[in-house]
Amino acid sequence: MAFEIPKTVYTGKIKEIKLGQGDKAVIVGGETAYPFYLFEGEMPHPPRIAMEVYDCPPEEWPEAALEPFSGVTDDPVAWAKKCIDDYGAEMICLQLLSTDPNGLDRGADEAAQVVKKVADAIDVPLIVWGTANHDKDVEVFRRVAELCHGKNLIIGPVEEGDHKQIGAAAIAYQHTVIASTPIDINLAKQLNILLGNLGVPDELIIMDPTVSGIGYGIEYAYSVMERMRMAALTQQDEKLQFPIICNIAKEVWKTREVKIPETEDPKMGDAKKRGILLEAMSAMCLLLAGADVLIMRHPEAIKLIREMITELTTK
Amino acid sequence: MRKTAAKRKVNVHFDPDNVDIAVEQGENLLQAAIAAGVRIHASCGGAGTCGTCKVLIEEGEVETTRTKRLSEEEYEQGIRQACQSRVLTDLSVYVPVESRLERAVLTREEKKVSQVLATGWRFTPPLSKFYVELPPPTLEDNTSDLSRLLRGLRQRYHLSNLSVDFSVVKKLAKTLREGDWRVTVTTLVTAVKPRAGDRRRPRLINIEPGDTREKHYSLAFDIGTTTVCGQLLDLNRGNVVAESIAYNGQISYGQDVITRIAYCQRPGGLKRLQQAVVSTINDIIAELLAQSQVELEHVGHLMVAGNTTMTQILLGLEPKYIRLAPYTPVANFFPPVNASSLGIKVNEHVYLFTFPAVASYVGGDIVSGVVGAGVHQRKTLTLFMDIGTNGEIVIGNSDWMATASCSAGPAFEGGGIKHGIVASEGAIEEFNINPSNLEPELGTIGGAKPKGICGSGLINIVAGLLEARVIAQNGKFNPDLPTKRVRRGSDGYEYVLAWAPETQTGKDIVITEVDIDNLMRAKAAMYAGCQTLSKSVGLGGCEFEQVIIAGAFGSHINIERAITIGLLPDLPPERFVFIGNGSLLGARLTSFSTDLLDDARRVAQMMTNFELSENVEFMNNYVAALFLPHTDANAFPTVSKRLAELASNPEQRINV
Repeated sequence: MAFEIPKTVYTGKIKEIKLGQGDKAVIVGGETAYPFYLFEGEMPHPPRIAMEVYDCPPEEWPEAALEPFSGVTDDPVAWAKKCIDDYGAEMICLQLLSTDPNGLDRGADEAAQVVKKVADAIDVPLIVWGTANHDKDVEVFRRVAELCHGKNLIIGPVEEGDHKQIGAAAIAYQHTVIASTPIDINLAKQLNILLGNLGVPDELIIMDPTVSGIGYGIEYAYSVMERMRMAALTQQDEKLQFPIICNIAKEVWKTREVKIPETEDPKMGDAKKRGILLEAMSAMCLLLAGADVLIMRHPEAIKLIREMITELTTK
Repeated sequence: MRKTAAKRKVNVHFDPDNVDIAVEQGENLLQAAIAAGVRIHASCGGAGTCGTCKVLIEEGEVETTRTKRLSEEEYEQGIRQACQSRVLTDLSVYVPVESRLERAVLTREEKKVSQVLATGWRFTPPLSKFYVELPPPTLEDNTSDLSRLLRGLRQRYHLSNLSVDFSVVKKLAKTLREGDWRVTVTTLVTAVKPRAGDRRRPRLINIEPGDTREKHYSLAFDIGTTTVCGQLLDLNRGNVVAESIAYNGQISYGQDVITRIAYCQRPGGLKRLQQAVVSTINDIIAELLAQSQVELEHVGHLMVAGNTTMTQILLGLEPKYIRLAPYTPVANFFPPVNASSLGIKVNEHVYLFTFPAVASYVGGDIVSGVVGAGVHQRKTLTLFMDIGTNGEIVIGNSDWMATASCSAGPAFEGGGIKHGIVASEGAIEEFNINPSNLEPELGTIGGAKPKGICGSGLINIVAGLLEARVIAQNGKFNPDLPTKRVRRGSDGYEYVLAWAPETQTGKDIVITEVDIDNLMRAKAAMYAGCQTLSKSVGLGGCEFEQVIIAGAFGSHINIERAITIGLLPDLPPERFVFIGNGSLLGARLTSFSTDLLDDARRVAQMMTNFELSENVEFMNNYVAALFLPHTDANAFPTVSKRLAELASNPEQRINV
């Protein structure tokens, strides 16, 4: 009797959602099997990578991360264009660092104008990431949503504490929300239910399970994402059948192991290579756990991941 | 009998109830409605100030005191405030829906009867009295007094194999002669091992002069962490003569068992707690005797059911190791204890029995409840839940039983709730919300002015707020509603159940987001416990053939609403049975039947305890249950369906 490879029985499918508008809009989701299990099911849309752009010059980035963007870090529009033109970014993630009430505390109107400028200047989908300060994010995203009506931005993090206000703005101006929960499958599910109750249509929801880099608890994120996919695909858990977005770059590049220069600790080796590899390896782990969109920083790391995605998705 | 002709009788007809009642002319219309069983909402209690009892007078005449709650337009239409109207002629009255009090408010009395589910037991109390007339000693028959007594008992009642307490021997000579050789003896048996061949050995514990068989009483107690309940039982007639309840005197030393155990670690702490509960027991005994006019000397036995900690503290046994892993109680079966040696004010011969415990957190109260409910007698797959500060669950039937305890916290007893109180007069128990204007309809225990919220009230309130979408499924308030009742208070958002002038306290009674959170945690612990336990024994879901709910407040839970918040599994209502205070029930039944006393011992041995505190699955289930009703909507199909229907019909509440 011939040996037959046992196959997982899938009963669910991840929802397909469209991000952005126009020719460069992307579709993510649609999986009918575990990540890259092309021998068991479909993965109709490959995972996408969004490149980070900050709305103010980043102060604490290590040299390796700043180098590819020298000359544009004080201009979000130029930065975003560079990512697209020079590094082939298929999505942009604008991090609204300047709105942090504990930092520059830039006003909602001003922040929204910046978002609008970037959104108008590019044609790829735009993710706008706030500060996770509920009051401030509500204020900012209300303005952003209104000003950028029709752009189908991807806005977040939308948490339990501010899901109503931001969710309502997203419904009114048709943007996608990033449902963000602290590494817990049940909380993720609950927020999706709440957003559904609020009237946010399924095709406007993407999940952020909260991730961290290698050495900083990535196994927890991995395990939660893995369980989300198991519930979604094999247990017909409709409220978890959403694509997953992972905001990984800033988690990796803020760690001591990435920031410490070689001169200070020679046995850590070349700082640039170290940062790039840590980002790429962390991103790869998350892809294997089920990420549909990765927010990344270094062009070299992105290149590595693109190659991996291509290899893994070639039948 | 002649009727007094002072006042003319008139007939009042109520619609849509379609009931009639004859009342005296001049009778208050609200009173007439109440007498007819028509329930009209009157939140101000008939003072005319709330305007909720408006009815339409279709035919006939009433005399009404006008208040500003009634508009000119309404008055013209024939609408009157029932509480301000007196009946003048035959009437036909229509009670509009907004004035109607939901039926649920009224079912309280009917539900109060606790059900005895244990069947097939014989009435053979462990405590018995035997009257003998003995031949006085002579020179020819000068055998000892004790031998004479035992011989008499053997001849008259075939009683043999007795063990004799020394206290009996001590007063034997005097009592025999005092009673002129006519005496009544009291015997007591303990449970025997559930193994054939074990011979029961009655203990001779008392002797009284004369025939005292008529006066034969015992006491049954439930020692709860929060409250202590006692019953005085007539062992001749098999009934409850008196019943009383009081707060456990230990309450001022901590609300839950853990803080009590911690208190015992202080110097003199254990003794103080022991004395506190004994003093509560003594107060209850005094109250029971006063109620029933029974004399203390005729009380011969004490049957006590309590959780492991309460039992150990009562017996003066160090409870420290209950709290420390691996959580060991001192004993599962405590031998009978002389009650007066513990400080309990009863006769010296009285023994105190405690129920056997299964584990540190599954105590004699659960064994008692299970025996009282007869779970061990049937093949039916049963879920037994004792809902209280320490939630305990048992799954099983006559063949096997698995049990677990899940610390639910004091929310079900009103603890940790801003305006929480134990179920007592004035506690808000029933709650309905008018979906069109979000105004509440309250029902309180005893119909008194509201004083606070009790556990069952809390469940009803949260379920009601959820269905009216005042709160979301995560228990958070929707702040954008057209009502003054949702507002920001010191603990975040809150809903005003009763305004200050309507309450006994003179302050607004509110339910806060924190309260809802506490209830959600409590219910999540209970439900997750059931889920984890049923999975541990290989059952798929919560598909029980019968669900027995014990707990003092249990009998007043509205099943549908408890399912709505996800406390109880989503099963057809007819599968649920309330037994009220199961622990007290079991203590009573075992006082009546030695068969059941044996069963208690057997049940304690057949229960397998599952420790949830170390169980990862339980934690996962717990977090999943921290949602209304549950993160897994498939586990609550009927609730999810209803919530979806309500959600798709939001225009319901748009017009104020």
